[in-house]
Amino acid sequence: MECFIFEAAKKYLGIEAQYIYRIADDVKPAPVPLVPDCHVGIIYHRGDLFDVIDAGKLLGKESSLSQATPYVILLQWEQRKLGLIPDRIVGLKWLDETEGAETLFGQDGQTIQMITPMDLWDMLTKLPYGS
Amino acid sequence: MNRTSIKNKLILSFLSLLLIVMVAVGVAQEITENVITALAVSAAFALAAGIFFGSIFSKSIVTRLTSLSSVATEVSHGDLSKNIPLLSRDEIRDLEDVFAVMVKDLRTIISEIKSVSEQIENTGKDLSMQIANVLTSSREIDHSAMAIAKGSEKQSLIVQKTSLIVEKSVEQMDEAARQSIQTASKADDALRKTEAGETNARETLNYLEDVLKQLAQNAQPIVRLSGKVEKIKMVMNVMEELSQKTDLLSLNASIEATRAGEMGKGFALVANEIRSMAENSRNSSQEIRGIVDDIFRDNEAVIAALKKSEDDINKGRSVIRGVVGTFGEMLAGVKEIAAEVKSVGDVTRSQVREMRGLISQFQELSRLANENFVSTQKTTIGTKNQEGQIQKIVKAAKSLNALSQKMAESQRRFRLHGD
Repeated sequence: MECFIFEAAKKYLGIEAQYIYRIADDVKPAPVPLVPDCHVGIIYHRGDLFDVIDAGKLLGKESSLSQATPYVILLQWEQRKLGLIPDRIVGLKWLDETEGAETLFGQDGQTIQMITPMDLWDMLTKLPYGS
Repeated sequence: MNRTSIKNKLILSFLSLLLIVMVAVGVAQEITENVITALAVSAAFALAAGIFFGSIFSKSIVTRLTSLSSVATEVSHGDLSKNIPLLSRDEIRDLEDVFAVMVKDLRTIISEIKSVSEQIENTGKDLSMQIANVLTSSREIDHSAMAIAKGSEKQSLIVQKTSLIVEKSVEQMDEAARQSIQTASKADDALRKTEAGETNARETLNYLEDVLKQLAQNAQPIVRLSGKVEKIKMVMNVMEELSQKTDLLSLNASIEATRAGEMGKGFALVANEIRSMAENSRNSSQEIRGIVDDIFRDNEAVIAALKKSEDDINKGRSVIRGVVGTFGEMLAGVKEIAAEVKSVGDVTRSQVREMRGLISQFQELSRLANENFVSTQKTTIGTKNQEGQIQKIVKAAKSLNALSQKMAESQRRFRLHGD
């Protein structure tokens, strides 16, 4: 399984490569009112609007917006679109075994937590507005 | 009134008596025929008439003489107020006139004596007052002379002390004049040394100017190197941006290749290689950036050191300029000091000359004070003598007063008209 690995909230996270639409840089999300704190804004990319989420704040407490030119991982699945700002992008890796979305894989002595875009969406939708 | 002398009166009286006797003889002869009786009656009548006329005549003379005698007695007792009655024109009248004139003259003399006595008494009183005043003045003069003598003595002592102090001051001023000459010589030395110091400071300033110019010339390549390092950093930024874009591009290419499935595996391989190259390029760029940053920091440190050296040299230059200015001020000051010291020396010498003249004046003043002291001593002795003489005058005045009082008492024995 081709897996896209990135780092956020002091953890290595992996998403199946098929959900990755593109990696964008040098984007400036437009802020949206009455949304959770981790919602940075929305961007317009090649005819589509993406909700951009701060992965560090969504999955932990520290923001991932500290980088000078943050990359935005654009995810697309089931007519849903989501932008994710990580701390660092590791790249694409081929992982031999999969045991579901929560399976842990070894990576340079580290563990990689596999998640799906839907998990992220659910986490986002469970957050209260303005929190 | 016609004058009638006593002789005439006597002759007239005798003739009258003779006539009466003759009348009486004639009457007696008529009455009686007896010659003897007639002679006896006539003699008796003549005797009675003689006694009668004699007593009348003598009474007239004795009465006047008694009156004159009583007036003379009153005059002898000092009563000059009595007047002598002038009844006839005989010799007694002459005596009365002479006596009256004498009494009148006596009155005048006594009056004059009284006036003179009063004047003498008043004069004696005035004299006593004047003598008392003169005595008081003499004593005051004596006190003043003694005070002047003491003052003169003190003045003499003060003048002598002042003269000693002035002589000491003159010696000190002489010493000061000698020291001012030495100070002037030292000021000249200081002037020469200050001029030498100013020359050295100016040479140092010129040397620092040269060093500063050399430093600025030496700093130019380093500054140019800094500019070049800046350009290298800009190129490195471009390279890093290129590697970042390449990385992103290769990442997106890998994603697209993954989405293409089996058909995209070869492309994914190429994309991974490109990404690997981009990462290597980025790592190399970061290493180069580190080196360039080190060079830049070293260069900045060198430039900062050069700048600091330039600043220090500029500070040193300003300090040395200040030193040069200070030397200039010192030079002017030392020149002024030398001139002042010379002027002070001249003034001191002039003052020494004037002070020597002052000392001679003080000596003259001391001599005058001594003379003054001697004169006042003499004045004191003179006033003492004068006081003794005044005492004698006082005694004489007292005697005069006593005499005038005696005279007044004697004069009071006489009584004049109106007393």
